[in-house]
Amino acid sequence: MKNSLLMKPRNQAALSNCTWKIGAAILAGLAALILGICIGSVNIALPDTASIILAKLSGGAVKDSIDASLVSILWEIRIPRTLCAYLVGGALAVSGAVIQSLLQNPLASSYTLGVSSGACLGTALIIITGAGSASIGYFLLPAAGFGSGLGTVLLVIVIASRLDSGFQNHTIILFGMIVSLFVNAVMTMLSALNKSHMQRLILWQMGSFSGRRFSHAAVIFVCVLVGTVLTVFFHRELDILSFGDEEAAAVGVDRKRIKILLLVLSSFLTGVSVCFTGVIGFVDLTIPHIVRKIYGSTHKVVIPMSFILGGAFMTLCDLLARTLMAPQEIPIGAITAFIGAPFFLWVYYKGRI
Amino acid sequence: MPDSMIILKNVSAGYGKHKAGKPAEEALVVKEISFEIAQGHSVCLAGPNGSGKTTLLRVIAGLLPAHGEILVDGKNISKIRRKEAASYMSFLSQMTRVYYSFSVYETVMQGRYVHGGSFFSRRAASRDREVVEETLESLGLQDLSGRQITTLSGGQIQRVMLARCIAQESPVMILDEPLNYLDMKIQSEFIDYLFRWREKPVKTDWGKEYQPTIIGVFHDISIAAFIADEVAMISEGRLLAFGEKRDVLTEEMLEKTYQFDAAGYLRKYRSCFSG
Repeated sequence: MKNSLLMKPRNQAALSNCTWKIGAAILAGLAALILGICIGSVNIALPDTASIILAKLSGGAVKDSIDASLVSILWEIRIPRTLCAYLVGGALAVSGAVIQSLLQNPLASSYTLGVSSGACLGTALIIITGAGSASIGYFLLPAAGFGSGLGTVLLVIVIASRLDSGFQNHTIILFGMIVSLFVNAVMTMLSALNKSHMQRLILWQMGSFSGRRFSHAAVIFVCVLVGTVLTVFFHRELDILSFGDEEAAAVGVDRKRIKILLLVLSSFLTGVSVCFTGVIGFVDLTIPHIVRKIYGSTHKVVIPMSFILGGAFMTLCDLLARTLMAPQEIPIGAITAFIGAPFFLWVYYKGRI
Repeated sequence: MPDSMIILKNVSAGYGKHKAGKPAEEALVVKEISFEIAQGHSVCLAGPNGSGKTTLLRVIAGLLPAHGEILVDGKNISKIRRKEAASYMSFLSQMTRVYYSFSVYETVMQGRYVHGGSFFSRRAASRDREVVEETLESLGLQDLSGRQITTLSGGQIQRVMLARCIAQESPVMILDEPLNYLDMKIQSEFIDYLFRWREKPVKTDWGKEYQPTIIGVFHDISIAAFIADEVAMISEGRLLAFGEKRDVLTEEMLEKTYQFDAAGYLRKYRSCFSG
């Protein structure tokens, strides 16, 4: 057919252009991981790093020329920490991209629905009651944060769908904000009444990757992998929903069911991140915007690229957080916001993406 | 006369709470409306602002819950899945707001969603590509195929959204004031595309052929008269008249519906051009 001959080169050119950009993103992701692992208060040369990792993975002995303390720094502290940062950054960016498209609001983020405030309240309760110091506390704190974060989102969804049969975006955002504020108020009261725990609460809220172990990284890895892969399955629905609810329904998307499913899925991703590392802002807000600017808005590409670039960004921010004022650590939330805020102003200055 | 494509039986609808399936009497925007639309016909809903015509349109499209029965090719619209409903009816609204930069090609491809099979049985996409490319060409959009829709003008966006509806290959097209904000030339082109679409029967995935049917609301009564075979005159949520446009769009009926000297206004308005 004449027209299909005409069309193909254009689409293929777009595709190969995109392939090149995707390749660049994967390289950037790998580079960020390598930098994150090699650089720190003690710099470890790349060949040494490679031989330690190879030796550990193959179960063999590490070369004698490498200091044993380097091995434990790398294997027990830095690699799990960097992996956690990467996975959390990726998960936050993916859920941010989903929520922005779903709610048709470039300012919405994974925290709009109250995951973070819910998670804060949950962990605050554990910290204040002291249950976290028990032996089960290692995973109790994240579990409580995760549970209460997701619970808050479900509450928002139930209220919004009960009060608005159309389940419209602005209703969801409004109730998300109201519930968040309410939960925050409870949280403020709790911390005011328990001054002895205040510092720990505040530190937790600022977010950090320090002290993350392989066991954390493994749990995050499984959750983030499942969440992201499931999200990619719904890329067509996400594309269509970015045009608005009514348009989506007219094209055949069962809007309410798909919307609830995707809201829960992205809150799950955010919840997993927040409960292990605290509230880290701006990655979820800005990375999806950058990704859309580079790759267009098709979610088949936006979701995986948000993961790769979000992870890379978070890994580099964590690198700055632990090296800029070493040995003191800067809270990572401050670094992401420090870079994120000027970027956001720029986005507004340039108009919509 | 061909068989009925859409049948409305005592349809009432409104906004607000839907306990027990029906909103309170005072919240009703559409009240007990019944009529039938024959396959292949074009019907325009006319009436003053706030008369409930847009609400009725959304009810027919299955986008709003309603009381009463709406049958599309014999199927109750409230009882079938969203995807099946969309395979019968496409829907074009006034000015779609565009937040994110999809390409024209990707946007039109979204119309193929209803043909996409289930989660586990993804169909071959070659027919989708073929339909999208044909549609783009027939609407003169092939050169814009790779452009981001955020960079298009209002008229171009509306043409892309029409292409999306056509690519959906549903036998009924529902139009909710699609010509608002468009200038005269673009309006006329749009209507031409619409008429061309109406000429060719639409074949569905289940192998049945239908004559294209249009149901629309148009701000401008002369455009409504131009497009429609039949007109449904609606005022305060009730159906005042339904029939061939010549029988419905009479001076008396316009005056009764709009509660002013509508015919006199139209004469004055036209006299400006005759010179």
